[in-house]
Amino acid sequence: MEIETDLRADAAVLRPAGRLTMVTAGELRARIDETVAGGHRVVVLDLADTTFMDSSGLGALVGGLRATRVAGGDLRLACAGAQVRTVLQLTTMDRVLRPYDTVEDALRAS
Amino acid sequence: MAVDTEDARLVALQRLGMLDTPPEERFDRVVRLAQQLFDVPTAFVSLVDRDRLFYKAKVGLEQDEAPRDTSFCRLTIEQPETFVVEDATADPRFEDNPWVVDDPHLRFYAGHPLVAPGGHRVGTLCLMDVRPRAFGAQDAVLLRDLASWVEQELVVDDELQRAAQVQARLLPRSVPDVPGYGVAGACLPARGVGGDFFDWALAPDGLTFTLADVMGKGGAAAIIAATVRAVLRAASRRGSVADAVATAEESLALDLSGTSMFATAFHAHLDPASGAVDYVDAGHGLALVVHPDGRTTRLEAGGPPLGFAAALDPEAPPPPRDAARVVLGPGDLLVTFSDGVLDVLDGTVASVDEVARGLAGARSAADAVDRVLAVARGAADRPDDLTVVAVHREAP
Repeated sequence: MEIETDLRADAAVLRPAGRLTMVTAGELRARIDETVAGGHRVVVLDLADTTFMDSSGLGALVGGLRATRVAGGDLRLACAGAQVRTVLQLTTMDRVLRPYDTVEDALRAS
Repeated sequence: MAVDTEDARLVALQRLGMLDTPPEERFDRVVRLAQQLFDVPTAFVSLVDRDRLFYKAKVGLEQDEAPRDTSFCRLTIEQPETFVVEDATADPRFEDNPWVVDDPHLRFYAGHPLVAPGGHRVGTLCLMDVRPRAFGAQDAVLLRDLASWVEQELVVDDELQRAAQVQARLLPRSVPDVPGYGVAGACLPARGVGGDFFDWALAPDGLTFTLADVMGKGGAAAIIAATVRAVLRAASRRGSVADAVATAEESLALDLSGTSMFATAFHAHLDPASGAVDYVDAGHGLALVVHPDGRTTRLEAGGPPLGFAAALDPEAPPPPRDAARVVLGPGDLLVTFSDGVLDVLDGTVASVDEVARGLAGARSAADAVDRVLAVARGAADRPDDLTVVAVHREAP
């Protein structure tokens, strides 16, 4: 899975492209861990190019949320498409992983 | 080969479930390697059926199958060792063999039998060349090693099938008799075994039923699914559905956080007299009530999937599991299904509406289950497990 990384002063923006499934979830999870270990405690996932997410993908988001929180930071979602939002809604996970409309909104949130 | 032995051999071959299946990389890889190691134009894995060879993997052959009676492989499977013909034109057994006298004018053949679980020789790993060749003891050892690799791949599948049979037997084997109601369910794993299951149990005060979906697919999900099922079953024996889910979540917390997995569940209890269904929806979100006039009501999830709270903070107390209630009137149908159904559609909330439309006018619980499965049956590729449970209150 291609994951573009944009390191900013106050946060890291990761942009995973393609399908977030059992095949790719581990890769995203590892990238979030690396980012946090690199000192970026706030991670924004820009999901504009994430075309599909299944339950394993959701598992990676939850794992990533935990990793950032343990480090005193946060994981925020931006630009999620209709299918990704559906998974978050059905599982009620949008209550803890609120999807923001834009990366800027997610960066500003606290 | 004696007829009874041959029949048993064919049964063993059928049981592998590999005849007429598409090529698979795990077999193609071995055949490519054999072709390169021995520097031959043709290498293949054949399965020897009643009167034909089916090529499961091949390099240098066009056709997918060949007649058994003129094949060299028919001789290979009649004995346990590597069968070698260094120059077929010098061997009277093959003087009028079509492989030799016609295209491709075969001269060299070496084949090692493939043994299925149970000991039957069901196929071969073979090398062929249009030039005569010598085949030494070292070559035979190498071919035998490659053949055992193919056999292991055959067994992997065999174990998966046995696991699938066991998992299928963990599903309800009979339909509960609830006067005035119809109940039906189905579960189709995407790959042998999976993380979905449904369950139901009849108690003096009504019917308890469950549909759950463990994150992921395949064997790992299946192990956790069996655990979730057992814990939820035990917890359902006493107390309300909310108590049962809370107790189950507590018991599962370490197993789920230790494996970084979670499960969504719809767990409900029907009081047949009043039609009241008390349910706890743990992050499942895929339950509908279809009314006789075609209207549908979606039942929304009340909390996160089982294991999520512990995944976020192992110290935190489990989230409250409150039951909600919906009352089934005469003719109402409650249907819950797994997200595998959405995945064959476009995966958005709109596909829930599509399932709902497909259910309008369903005449019974079994009809509703069939209609949901029909949505998925049209899909060429079913990526996820697919499970449905329906409860129908019959109209008087």
